[in-house]
Amino acid sequence: MTRYGMLIDTKNCIGCYACRTACQRQNGLDADVDYIRYEERETGTFPHVGYEMVPLQCMHCEDAPCVSVCPTQASYTDENGIVRVDEEKCIGCRYCMAACPYGVRVHNKATGAVEKCKFCTAQSFEGKGETCSCVEACVTGCRIFGDLDDPDGELSRAITEKNALPITGDRTKAKIFYVR
Amino acid sequence: MTYEPIWGSIIAWYLFLAGVGAGAFATSAFLSWRHPEATSMRKIGHIIAPIAVGIGLILLMVDAEAGFTHPWRFVYLLGNFGSVMTWGVVFLSVFMVIAVAAFILDRLKKNVPTWLENVGAILALCVAVYTGALLGVCSTYPLWNNALLPILFLVSALSTGAASVLCVSIVRHADEFNMVGVLKKFHFFLPIIELLLIASLMFITQSNSDAGYQSVMNLISGQWAIWFWLGLIFIGLIGPTLLETWLLFFSSEEFEKSRLAHWISFASDAGVLVGGFLLRYLIVAAAVPLTVVTPLL
Repeated sequence: MTRYGMLIDTKNCIGCYACRTACQRQNGLDADVDYIRYEERETGTFPHVGYEMVPLQCMHCEDAPCVSVCPTQASYTDENGIVRVDEEKCIGCRYCMAACPYGVRVHNKATGAVEKCKFCTAQSFEGKGETCSCVEACVTGCRIFGDLDDPDGELSRAITEKNALPITGDRTKAKIFYVR
Repeated sequence: MTYEPIWGSIIAWYLFLAGVGAGAFATSAFLSWRHPEATSMRKIGHIIAPIAVGIGLILLMVDAEAGFTHPWRFVYLLGNFGSVMTWGVVFLSVFMVIAVAAFILDRLKKNVPTWLENVGAILALCVAVYTGALLGVCSTYPLWNNALLPILFLVSALSTGAASVLCVSIVRHADEFNMVGVLKKFHFFLPIIELLLIASLMFITQSNSDAGYQSVMNLISGQWAIWFWLGLIFIGLIGPTLLETWLLFFSSEEFEKSRLAHWISFASDAGVLVGGFLLRYLIVAAAVPLTVVTPLL
């Protein structure tokens, strides 16, 4: 079984927003619609200060609140562990947006349906490219995409080496791992 | 960080109207139990119930844009019984069928059987509780994610439903309005219970997280403070309680049955309805979500 996941090393993130721009281009989104959002904060006390930038997108939770609240089963987890939205079933009630602990689902005003990061399913699995567009776009190499079930893969090794953890611990069994 | 609320006034109207309809049907059932002689008032409840819930459901479908433009997608609504919304669809559909059946039986001048009245009343309670549980399971919003909300919405639904029946009967059937003392006394206590529940909700929510604190502050001292204190607490809850205390317990029976007293009652019940809507609207609008790294300000 494939279980796709990602690692984001925020220590190397410079906050250039290239991942979001690439994602918007990949998914044909308007400038004010994004699947990646950022939370940022200052850390430390003067003069020893830092600045933390945390890119957030769909965590593809194994215990996904959006999937459990969706009344029409438009939100579902596919066979590769990717949480997806079947637009043909979405009525646009936005219940999933209210349930998502990460606030990373967006309401598409044109179709009325809800959308979000799908780990670039089109690009990764139809042979058009190597990996997700946000991973390709990252200028400092913060992001690693791969199969969590492949113990020798780059992703699994990096998670162990860097001691990466889901952003809210065990809360929803998220599959994006952060180095902070 | 900026935050755009996910749901707006359309959903607040829907939550309010579903509550009013459910409460109106429950009021009819209560009347047939304790005041069987008030037949016209019972029929008023049977008229309000399907109309209020019907309008609410239309608003809901309009708000669910992707469904509104592709109506066949509503077929999938019974797809996930793990979702509170799916349960809501079940409760609302069955309730609607019973409410319309009671309405038609009234029009045909036939008796609404007691079992139908009772099953309808139970479903009315389910609908009212569901409107609270719908928001309650969203663990991202501390103002919603607690066990008080379904109870608060249930009490408010019963209160606004009874208020709507009482308002119409003051205009149309003042004679029966004078007879339903038990209903009035029962109705009198609901805003007081609501005050207690709202106070508890504020005290507990403000202590559980930054987002909870922020939501409560939005209501009691922030951008919604005037609506909260003047609209919900004063016009919706304290005002009606004071007026009804005077009418029910301190005025002469003669005055209580006068037309002036009726209009004072009308004002009090209208206040309850205004408060009922504001309760839904403020709970929807003031809720601030938990964030991952940086708290929302």
